[in-house]
Amino acid sequence: MNVLLECTNITKSYNGPIVLDNVDFSVRSGEVHSLVGENGAGKSTLIKIVTGVTGCNSGRIVFNGKQVPDNLDRKTAQALGIACIYQELSLIPGMTVAQNIFLGKEPLIKGLHIIDKKKMTAMAQALIDKYGFPLKPGDFIDQISIAQRQLVEILKALSDKAHMIIMDEPTSSLTKTEVELLFKIIHMLKAEGISVLYISHRMEEVYALSDRVTVLRDGKLVDVVDKERISPAEIIRLMIGHKLEEKALHHELGKIEGKVVLSVRNLTSVGKFVNVGFDLHEGEVLGIGGLVGSGRTELVRALYGIDPIDEGSVTYLGKPFVPSVSASIKNGIGFIPEERRLQGILSTQSILRNIGITNLDRLAPRFVVNGKAEREFAERGIKLVNVKPANSEHLVGNLSGGNQQKVVLAKWLVRDLKLVFIDEPTVGIDIGAKEEIYDHIRKLSAQGVSIILVSSDLPELVRLSERVLVLRKGRIIKEFTECVITGEKILRAASGILESETVEE
Amino acid sequence: MKHKNFPPELKLGGVIVLLMVALTLISPRFLTVSNLTNVVWSVCIIGILSSGAIYPRITGGIDLSLGSMVALTGIIADLFMNHMNLNWLVAIVLTVVIGGLIGLFNGFIVAKIKVPAFVVTMAAKTYLYGVALVVSSGAMLAVLKPAPFVQIGIGRFLGLPNPIYIMVVLVLASQFLLKRTSFGRQVMAVGSNETAAKLSGVDPDRVRLISYAISGMTSAVGGVVLASLTQQIFAAAASGIELDVMTALVIGGTSAVGGNGSVIGGLLGAVMVAFIINGLNLLNVPAQFHPIVTGVVIILALLLNESNVKFNKIGIFRINRKSVGGNRG
Repeated sequence: MNVLLECTNITKSYNGPIVLDNVDFSVRSGEVHSLVGENGAGKSTLIKIVTGVTGCNSGRIVFNGKQVPDNLDRKTAQALGIACIYQELSLIPGMTVAQNIFLGKEPLIKGLHIIDKKKMTAMAQALIDKYGFPLKPGDFIDQISIAQRQLVEILKALSDKAHMIIMDEPTSSLTKTEVELLFKIIHMLKAEGISVLYISHRMEEVYALSDRVTVLRDGKLVDVVDKERISPAEIIRLMIGHKLEEKALHHELGKIEGKVVLSVRNLTSVGKFVNVGFDLHEGEVLGIGGLVGSGRTELVRALYGIDPIDEGSVTYLGKPFVPSVSASIKNGIGFIPEERRLQGILSTQSILRNIGITNLDRLAPRFVVNGKAEREFAERGIKLVNVKPANSEHLVGNLSGGNQQKVVLAKWLVRDLKLVFIDEPTVGIDIGAKEEIYDHIRKLSAQGVSIILVSSDLPELVRLSERVLVLRKGRIIKEFTECVITGEKILRAASGILESETVEE
Repeated sequence: MKHKNFPPELKLGGVIVLLMVALTLISPRFLTVSNLTNVVWSVCIIGILSSGAIYPRITGGIDLSLGSMVALTGIIADLFMNHMNLNWLVAIVLTVVIGGLIGLFNGFIVAKIKVPAFVVTMAAKTYLYGVALVVSSGAMLAVLKPAPFVQIGIGRFLGLPNPIYIMVVLVLASQFLLKRTSFGRQVMAVGSNETAAKLSGVDPDRVRLISYAISGMTSAVGGVVLASLTQQIFAAAASGIELDVMTALVIGGTSAVGGNGSVIGGLLGAVMVAFIINGLNLLNVPAQFHPIVTGVVIILALLLNESNVKFNKIGIFRINRKSVGGNRG
């Protein structure tokens, strides 16, 4: 098989830290090639470079035997035959399947600048028939399922005569049968000689589909694994590596004592998580691991009272508890959401107001806000987590990511919490601020506050947690207690690989 | 990032003072008690309306039904007093309650059925105008009695027209509600980031319902004042006033996407526009040129509050009316 895409010595840094370090990467024609690595390994950056979204600092890309220009942009990449199906789909909801497929390249009636609707529908139908997709040219995008939308994306790429289709986490919102259909389609594409570059956190998919797997770690190429050598356990070993720091990441799980603060039994939310049960003790940091889409965030959202629960019971401080946001806040439960910009901060408001908003019950018990108390709360919060600048009138939208996250922490820390849910607390935050946030989590735990920590950052989960539950497809698949946990063990469990499959330890 | 935290009220106050100095130099007729009183008087209705209409605006919505609401409530007040012979005070209270209920209905559709406020209140503007036509039989009603009611609009206290006092009281009360109470904090939080507000224990639906109800109530006060001031009321009496109110709010520093605002700023915005029109009149500029000037002033005011405009870019990400959703993991 000849090589379709050949990248050599790709190096990329975003003002300072090196994201890709001298990486070689190649895709053959007609193969399914998986690109794997932990969060931050450099997968997305590599894809962005190949699709012309961003440039690289040095390196050479050859596609289809031709050197790709240094200033590759998305349009040129598309013209070359590189198509990408993004996680957030790029279709226009109010338009039909046919209109989306031929957007910008609609067949025109000869001599007129008018779209030949009949011809366009026929062309779309021909494409659909060729691959046997469950689609109609006249369907509107906002009335078909996510899986069908992905098929439209694929057809759009095929109508562009794509040689390589990049799929970035394509199965994260698909059902099982839809995944099977997608796999069938990938095999069809392969049979036609079209290469598929597949990116997924799900090891079993990588295992089932790939001809070869490229493993990245910390921006460096670790290995390219051939079909015969591909096994989920092997790939995970390569992804995590046995770095020197790994020693430090080993973590003796302390014995869990103290009274039970939160007790969850048979908790089910249809389509999100099933039959989840656990106890959380006073001052304990309970980590929840699992892949994106495993139901981690949904679980903590339901426990905090944002989303409804279908079945099961929650006992809080010895009493039955029906979660709702107001009941949670009233009873000393806090929630630090993922995506702080979208869910955590009021960016047009001052630090003072951001800290105040969760504490109106204390600051304005009789409707009128006690300005003095509000300032005291803000000053206390700023001091507590060391927000910079330490000016309570500063707008939160103007703070750095780390300081924004500290404000989100502060607005809860100024209350007397008993339990706090923390979801992905350090995404996009610099190392210094990360360490500070870890310190606060430990300090809270030492004060007897119970913490449920959701994180995709394995070293983070390992360092902070005293016990780790691993969710997979909405179920608790593994509980790590009173033993040594490592990131590798968590990832194996999250990927559905049982301990017995592995040789070492 | 450099950010000057100048309150828009101060900037506007400065501009108004400059404007007054300039107009004093240009025209000897400007700096007289009667002229200044007239200017402030002319913005009374706008000031009263903006003290309530600012709430939907800050939550990220808008109330475009103001003009029809003012007319309808004015007509209803007249019917209560002059056809059903209710006591004038009772009539006013009932009118304000009805205004609040209509606002609550708007708020219900916006908050619970999640129809964009623009559409909901535009529809309300139309059907409330229709209701006003029906209940007034399409006629212009003369509101010449009862005497105490008429005094609300045309009477004076310590030399100043009564409506000025009503406006000042409402504006100050509303500024207090917005800036000093938990409700005001919640309104701004919902407009700034609904999801974050919800996760912090704010009920965005409740906040929206109350916001539109307040706007309905101040519209009713506006209707009462207009009817007594002009001693007449008809379905188109305040047609288009919502745009004047929105202009005043924008100039007064109320964010174009919600999340922030000032009632006093809104009033100053209205006063500034009034002074400009007044100046044009004193300079004998024909009236057909006035809207051009007003339009330019709106743009200039936005530039003046440039820091706010920059912030609205970030705001684009925040306009996320889907409840707390859209995530995995």
